[in-house]
Amino acid sequence: MDLELLAQLTVSGLVVGSTYALLGVSFGVIYATTRIFHLAHAVAYAGAAYAAVWSADTLGLPFWPALVVGLVAAAVLGVAIEVLFYRPMRRRNATLLTIFLVSLGISVAFPNLLQLAFGPENQSLPRPDNPTYGLGSVTISRHDVATLLICWVLIAAVATYIARTRFGRSVTAMRTNPAMAEAVGIDGKKVYLFVFLIGSLLAGVAGLLFTAKGVATPTMGLQPTLTGFIAAFLGGIGSQWGAALGGLALGLISSWSALYLQVDYGPVVVFGAMFLVLLIRPQGLLGKAAA
Amino acid sequence: MSYYADIAISILILMTLGVSLNLLLGYAGRVSMAHAIFFGIGGFTAARLTLPTVEELGGVATAGLQTGFSWHWVPALLVAVVVAAVAALVISIPAVRLVRGEYLILLTLAFQLVANQLMGVLDKVTGGPYGLSGIPPIQLGSTPLILPEQFIWVMLAAAVVAIVICWGLGESPFGRLLKGIREHESAVASVGKNPVVPELLAFSISAAIAGGVGALAAFYYGSVVPSNYSLTYSIFIVSVVVLGGIGNLSGTVVGAIALGLLEPFLREYVGDEAIPWQTVIYGAALVVMMRLRPEGLLPEGFGPGRLLNWRGRKAPKVVPTEEEALARLSQDAPEVVTEGEAEPIVQVLDLKKSFGGLKAVAGATFELERGKVTALIGPNGAGKTTIFNMICGTLRADEGRVFLRGEDVTGKPAYQLVRKGLARSFQDVRVCQRLTALNNVALGVQNQPGERVSRLVLRPFATRTAEKRVRQKALDCLALLGIADRAHLRVSELSYGDQKLVAIARLLATDCDVLLLDEPTSGVDPASVEKVIDGIARLRTLGHTVCLVEHSVHFVQRLADRAVFLDQGAVIAQGTVDELMNRRELAELYFGT
Repeated sequence: MDLELLAQLTVSGLVVGSTYALLGVSFGVIYATTRIFHLAHAVAYAGAAYAAVWSADTLGLPFWPALVVGLVAAAVLGVAIEVLFYRPMRRRNATLLTIFLVSLGISVAFPNLLQLAFGPENQSLPRPDNPTYGLGSVTISRHDVATLLICWVLIAAVATYIARTRFGRSVTAMRTNPAMAEAVGIDGKKVYLFVFLIGSLLAGVAGLLFTAKGVATPTMGLQPTLTGFIAAFLGGIGSQWGAALGGLALGLISSWSALYLQVDYGPVVVFGAMFLVLLIRPQGLLGKAAA
Repeated sequence: MSYYADIAISILILMTLGVSLNLLLGYAGRVSMAHAIFFGIGGFTAARLTLPTVEELGGVATAGLQTGFSWHWVPALLVAVVVAAVAALVISIPAVRLVRGEYLILLTLAFQLVANQLMGVLDKVTGGPYGLSGIPPIQLGSTPLILPEQFIWVMLAAAVVAIVICWGLGESPFGRLLKGIREHESAVASVGKNPVVPELLAFSISAAIAGGVGALAAFYYGSVVPSNYSLTYSIFIVSVVVLGGIGNLSGTVVGAIALGLLEPFLREYVGDEAIPWQTVIYGAALVVMMRLRPEGLLPEGFGPGRLLNWRGRKAPKVVPTEEEALARLSQDAPEVVTEGEAEPIVQVLDLKKSFGGLKAVAGATFELERGKVTALIGPNGAGKTTIFNMICGTLRADEGRVFLRGEDVTGKPAYQLVRKGLARSFQDVRVCQRLTALNNVALGVQNQPGERVSRLVLRPFATRTAEKRVRQKALDCLALLGIADRAHLRVSELSYGDQKLVAIARLLATDCDVLLLDEPTSGVDPASVEKVIDGIARLRTLGHTVCLVEHSVHFVQRLADRAVFLDQGAVIAQGTVDELMNRRELAELYFGT
């Protein structure tokens, strides 16, 4: 085996896996508490990218302020979906299936709205230099280093916040027993708002990390969001570190698969991994068996 | 003319796909996000099989590898159907263990994206991103059906066949089983039905039909292209079903026509931007519809039949009297025990269960006598329901054994216990709200040929006769409990007390000798309590052994032959109810002092 290639693939797998981990945590935080299969999560991802591109192009903002605009857009979009659609439906005792269908409607309409507004072509940000560094035979770019740092700092922050603070524990309480949590005075609405805010922000970060190196397209949110879903289920619903581990594993597996397979087969390997884990360990890698 | 026929064909394709998806989404309550892929699998299979061989093309393997096996279209269509059905079964394997809706969403969503990508990559099989072309059209006799106004009849026939299949299955006992599982999986399992297999079958049949449509579409368009089988198209099909009305096939027909006309209409007005506009419009329609009218344009159960009131919802013509019902039911009932004889049918030996540090049940031993009503009584927290759950196999005992007619049945799953003659009801009733009382009870009847798809297809008339017997039996069970006149009402329209009676009738319909009732009168108004008492007394008359968990002393005194008094997880006394209630220390324990 080509060790140099393996090392390089491992590094790129770690980088890609970190963004998958971030996406896994961002979806996991929302899903574990609300049980909504939030397909419209892709809106926050693509919305952040387009808002950043738009503010750089039209408002002429420099790189960093444009990213801030993108983050704000992700948060606003995610929270708006909860407040304008999901919350009123819950109040009317809509089933999870109905709420999922609304999510489906939003997720299919939004990219096409983007296409009607900005056109189908690629959009990009004026980006700063991206020098590469050599570590022996392995090269790593500044963007890669930034990705690693940002993803894991954010994941650790969210996991710690939920595990250690008072409000964070109320998120866990709402996840495990909503009726009881509300009976002891936890404001369910606030918790829901919080998970949508945090989840959408993280998805926005992932969208911006991608756009800072690649390009924005209307349908850009779909594939990464799905990878996030898979990561969260793979790791175990309700566990932030599980979702992060799931994402990292997916990144490494799909990167390593390039040793033997064409790059196009990456998603197939990811799907296979999910299929196997669901078959052997349905509750996910770090999930607790259902009662 | 051709232009309109072509639009009509695309609408018929959409309609057939929608109808098949509605079998899964409406009756089984499960979402598939990969319907377009099964459509595509059928298309590619049929295309490869019918394309001319290399020899026929003059022995030159062309660059695009547009060659095949030169099959006739009929076998190719059949193989396409089978391949799609098998693909669906394979994909749903993990869902067997995780019968929760969102896992099927996750699996099918991922499958949709991966399979669509593979269609573009596996160029040896699918011809790569540009797909396969030059697929020969359908030949009827010596006429190739190329023109839209010719092919439209084929597609129309296909749509009718699909509607007949889905409607037939959906309205059959199999469809009733699907709806039951959709609403209360555990309740269906508790009356002896496997809750997983019917759902997988529905998924597979739904995919099979999509595969068949895919083959027909390939024959008509002459080409199959991966981008036609995208997630967007899958969502489009879901939208057709949801907007038309989940669980209503006429709704799907209407939905397909409405959404299918959208694209040609938009092409006239916005030209090249028709596709994104179309997607925005149906996405928005989905959101608005689910917010304002989640049941869709035509709700479940609303259709031409319902308007004329000729199916199902009619009050039964002949309501059997209780005596008639009793006479008929006693043929299937267990042998009535003669007076004075006491033989145990269920033996509970030293059952133990702890939850963490809490000993919920600490060595309970007692017996149920055949043909008697036994009550488990005791203060709250005595472990009554826990024991119940261990007998029924819904909770694993730490130690101890349960014997049914001398056979060790400890930890057997609920549906196996029913086959051995023991069934239970739930404290929170778990009746299917959207089914009629009669259909709820019919779910309890065992060995129904109509619940098996193979029998429905191979022996349609025999299953129909069997279904008549099932309905008669269900009606008799309802009559015995005094609610046969409400058999045609949806359970959601009944009072809570009547719902409890429906649950007991469903239990009775299983023909199990041993019936376990979990708090049959909790939350029920006093008038209905009397009806429940009468009903249970009749179960005893029929020879059933009844065990109930109950709080009301009045109820227990009126009904129970024997009582088992539990406290802190142990049996502390057994005997007749009066004996126990006359013992001062027990009465104090029970009522508190």
